[in-house]
Amino acid sequence: MVEIALYAVVVGLIVISLLSIARAFSGPTVLDRLVAMNMITTNVILTVLIFAYLDNSYFYIDVAFVFVLGTFIGTLCILKLLREGFIL
Amino acid sequence: MTIVQQAIPYIALFFIFGGFFFLLVGVVGLLRLPDVYTRMHAMGKCDTLGTGMMLIGLMLLFANITNITKLLLIAAMIATINPVITHLIAKTAYNRGTPMVEGSFLINDYVASRRHRRRQPLVTVREKGGDNG
Repeated sequence: MVEIALYAVVVGLIVISLLSIARAFSGPTVLDRLVAMNMITTNVILTVLIFAYLDNSYFYIDVAFVFVLGTFIGTLCILKLLREGFIL
Repeated sequence: MTIVQQAIPYIALFFIFGGFFFLLVGVVGLLRLPDVYTRMHAMGKCDTLGTGMMLIGLMLLFANITNITKLLLIAAMIATINPVITHLIAKTAYNRGTPMVEGSFLINDYVASRRHRRRQPLVTVREKGGDNG
């Protein structure tokens, strides 16, 4: 019963990601796309954690943690590029 | 098996579906609100709260102290990173002069003062639609 509910939550997270992709596709400015990509990365992290529970393979938690840090640095680099025109 | 152990998966599912509800509200705000700033408002709050609730539910399901510690670490990182990123996006949008919604009573003081200092004629600040923003 718990597993069926978790699969339903995963399907819902995929639907949320597709709606965010619609905003990222039609956003008028680049910052709208950045906000939508932030939402998508959060959904990906939660999906990875739920699959870590469903498969009983707990190494995926480390994958999710690295993904959090990587998206943070990526968003920071994009914002610095938009503000100043260069990254490094 | 006591009644507490039987009740734990249901409490976990309650938290997980609560987090899913908040994420859904956030994406509805992301699709329907008219402005960069309001979309960011919807995304920042609902994303942080929904992720926190879902991680609490997963902590109840993972009955292992190592995994619970890792999930606590992920929750702490997201709870600090997401407001920081939202603040930086807001500041970047404000400094670039991203247009607010029409009929808004706020004025972008930063861009207006820069134009006044350069002695340029005050035109309507609009951002070109396109990939560069």
